[in-house]
Amino acid sequence: MRTSLLKLLSLLFAFALVGAACGSGSDNASDDGGSDDSTQSDDGGSSDDGSSDDDSGDDDGSGDDGTVDLVQGGGTLAAVQARGNLNCGVSGAAVAFSFVEADGSVNGIDADYCRAVAAAVLGDSEAVTFVNLTAAERFTAVQSGEVDVLMRNSTWTQSRDTEVGMDFGPTTYYDGQQLMGLASDGFSGSSEVSEIAGATVCTNAGTTTETNISELAGELGISITLNTFEDYNQVVDAFIAGTCNVITTDGSGLVGRKAQQEPEDQEWVIFPATPISKEPLGPVYGQNDSEWADVVNWVVYATIIADENGVTSSNVDAALSGDNPESVRLLGGEGELQTKMGLSADAFYNVISQVGNYDEIFAKNLNPVGLVREGSANARWTEGGLIYAPPAR
Amino acid sequence: MSDAIALPPETVEALATANQAPDKPIKDPVQWAKENLFSTVGNTIQTILFTALLVFILRWLLGLIVSEERDWTAVTTNIRLLFTYNYPGSQYGRIWFSFGAMLTTAMFTVVAFGLRPMVALRKILINTAGLGAFLVLVSVLAPTESFPLRILLAGVVLVAIGAGLLVAIPNAHERMVSFWQMLVGLAVICLIATWLVPWGNNTFANGEVTQIAGTIKASTKNWLTLMVGVTLASFFAARALLAVVPDRVLKGIMLVWWLLGPAFLIFLVLRDPSFDWGYVLSVDIPIALGFGLGGAALLYFLSTPGNESLARTAGLVVLGIGVLTFVLAFRGDLSMLQKVRLSILALGFAALLAPTFSGESRVRMRFALGWLGFILITHWLITGINTPSTLDIAAPPFLGGFMIPLTLGYYVMLASFPMGILMALARTSDMPLFRVMATTYIEGVRGVPLIVILFFFDNLLNLFLPSGMSISKLGGIFVGYTLFSAAYMAENIRGGLQAVRRGQFEASDALGLTTLQRTVFIILPQALRVSIPNLVGQAIATFKETSLVAIIGAFDLLNVARNSIPNQPAFLGHALAPLLFISAVYWVVAYSMSRASRSLETKLGVGAR
Repeated sequence: MRTSLLKLLSLLFAFALVGAACGSGSDNASDDGGSDDSTQSDDGGSSDDGSSDDDSGDDDGSGDDGTVDLVQGGGTLAAVQARGNLNCGVSGAAVAFSFVEADGSVNGIDADYCRAVAAAVLGDSEAVTFVNLTAAERFTAVQSGEVDVLMRNSTWTQSRDTEVGMDFGPTTYYDGQQLMGLASDGFSGSSEVSEIAGATVCTNAGTTTETNISELAGELGISITLNTFEDYNQVVDAFIAGTCNVITTDGSGLVGRKAQQEPEDQEWVIFPATPISKEPLGPVYGQNDSEWADVVNWVVYATIIADENGVTSSNVDAALSGDNPESVRLLGGEGELQTKMGLSADAFYNVISQVGNYDEIFAKNLNPVGLVREGSANARWTEGGLIYAPPAR
Repeated sequence: MSDAIALPPETVEALATANQAPDKPIKDPVQWAKENLFSTVGNTIQTILFTALLVFILRWLLGLIVSEERDWTAVTTNIRLLFTYNYPGSQYGRIWFSFGAMLTTAMFTVVAFGLRPMVALRKILINTAGLGAFLVLVSVLAPTESFPLRILLAGVVLVAIGAGLLVAIPNAHERMVSFWQMLVGLAVICLIATWLVPWGNNTFANGEVTQIAGTIKASTKNWLTLMVGVTLASFFAARALLAVVPDRVLKGIMLVWWLLGPAFLIFLVLRDPSFDWGYVLSVDIPIALGFGLGGAALLYFLSTPGNESLARTAGLVVLGIGVLTFVLAFRGDLSMLQKVRLSILALGFAALLAPTFSGESRVRMRFALGWLGFILITHWLITGINTPSTLDIAAPPFLGGFMIPLTLGYYVMLASFPMGILMALARTSDMPLFRVMATTYIEGVRGVPLIVILFFFDNLLNLFLPSGMSISKLGGIFVGYTLFSAAYMAENIRGGLQAVRRGQFEASDALGLTTLQRTVFIILPQALRVSIPNLVGQAIATFKETSLVAIIGAFDLLNVARNSIPNQPAFLGHALAPLLFISAVYWVVAYSMSRASRSLETKLGVGAR
């Protein structure tokens, strides 16, 4: 009898486990950790009233019934403030943009902009829950409201911007597709794309880089052998091994690899000087929520203005009482620029003091992999780049 | 089978020795080679040819491992990421606590079930010398000149120790090393490796990896030492306990703990839910007690002899209500706690089972108490799972790295086991409806690749759930994988069911057993015993195939090795070393499972009748 009892127990237990897994669904994100007090469990600790209750899923005040267009019609700012935590979609595996360090922390320029938004909205740059998203999942996560803002090196394109459910913010990094070849094959920094005629060109499969290079080759009337790999690591390994004469991807991807992986007996060169495609990368958020859009946009602009005015995380206190009126207004020393947006007056002071200005964020994350601002599209507009923000007044 | 043993452990060990034929004395190696490797011309050619091939493969493999461009610091720096992903370092004591609890569990299980393998001293010595010889071979064959001399040295020392003791100890093949001696020996080796061997340690701070010479980090060292202590202490504690408590009780406790313990560790220790005690006291506990006590009383009554038909009717009615609550939930009509729905369903099932337990009041009492325990524990777990965690995790979920294959593999096997049994029984049953349904399900699922099912449950399941109800990524993966695994499990168990002879059915019918009693007490035990090799094969496959979750974006061991580490600025593009490392991790676990199954088969005498 005892053994039969055990069998019965195990049977029921396993059944309950399956059930528990299903039932746990009601608080999707919060269920898996994170200190957030869950969007959906407004009835205290227990949110296992999994189904059908009308009060779950939309305490962001949107008032509709928790379907895909959750974020439409606004309310994300209030939802984030009520939750006390920012859900930020990142890649989790993109060097210099968002990657996981050996100690488990998330780093990179995208991750730092998540922290900047959290610092502005909640006053704490660590009040971020990073949501690792694959390329296929990322836009659905924005549209469904699973993430408040997406910082996942996503290119701003017309089709994506006009697609239902999402809008793009100001570009934080101007990328562009380039090619990399060997100096011993006669390539140099001033080489043109037409010089790769007859070469074996490698890139990752199924990306726009593949389309771009074959379209360009057709346009120039040159013939190339295109070889695609599933994984970018394989592309670089094949290039080192000599299987590929030329590899192509976004410039940021090429520079980092050149800095880290160039063997001593090879000399890699990146060309052409003007990239063959435009890849502006920036934040993505839900559609038709201008209050939230303004917050995210102005967090980015604030880091840029601070850089223009020479305000850094180390001298931000001095700047608050300094004589540059724009900086004082931006940091909340006077006026009500921030409070009118629904933020606290010191929102951008928190951003600069806790995360840093644009230049600091750039230097911290992109310089280690060999990417520099000077001379690129990411230089200040005063120095011939494209990094430009509207004035704070 | 060994239920009757209540002998002191020494006697058991002596009996085990008596049953095990001692190893034969060693033959002259030259003689052996002549007989086995160079007996004929053909044999000699084969030996030379295949040795050359082996050497070539080994050299190539070593080239992968010790090549100068293989950056093993990518692995050593990221050990924590590989095993637990981004579990917060400040809370790491929870990981060690869980590890210690599982070590204790293992030791108690070994003692309670009398699984204390004894090994001849000679075997250990030969293996030591063999390992040394392998290390020497490796250092000779290794293609780079910078190959560490230490390994050659370690190899020579091991050969010397193994071979020396083999010669020095007169009848090594007759001396048996008992389990506790091996345990102590392993503990000593572990402690030496922890405290004396200069592995060096890699510290990661501010984006810089610094290598520090010396032994491993002090924090890790202390914890590891504690783990060794816990293992030894729990072994001897379990032995002492066995002298007081009958082993039947200990076995029962261990079985229940294996079912509940891991869930307890994962959801309550590792995840650390922040209970809202006011809500728990006013809502959760009353519901659990109501279902537990009320259900227990109902089941005690229904299992009274003579109430069989009433129990069946009541069971069907309750089951019907349970299903109805789910149907209404999907229509969006009925708002109630998920665990209430599940409890109603479980009560229905239990009521259907009640007639099987009808009889003396003691048996019925146990049945009712079993229900009470089940309800209390599952309610506790479900509440814990649905309460937000207090952990400060950068990127949820709290499970990642090696924890995913470990927990997912274990729970998928555990949950698909009863489902597989039910479906195998349905497929072999005489009732055409059950048979058709089970066959359709099994063949349908087996015809679809696992990755397709995982994609489906990751992306599409949420669209089919009623609004307001959703499921996390790992939850969806678990459900999909369990449903997939259950179909294979059913086929494996069906093989076992068909191996049970017709006479067993007829004999149990002749005894007047009900169908349920016949299945549970006569047929299934024999069928499952035959299925063990297949089931272990499936367990190994399940464990390894959890790596498919990397494709749908969960950061398991494979995804960390393939995507996380090669994207850190310090280790940009270094994917091969982490991949080689995780292959070794997978191999160690899978091979241990396969060895354990082999000894279990020997113990149960599967295939030897």
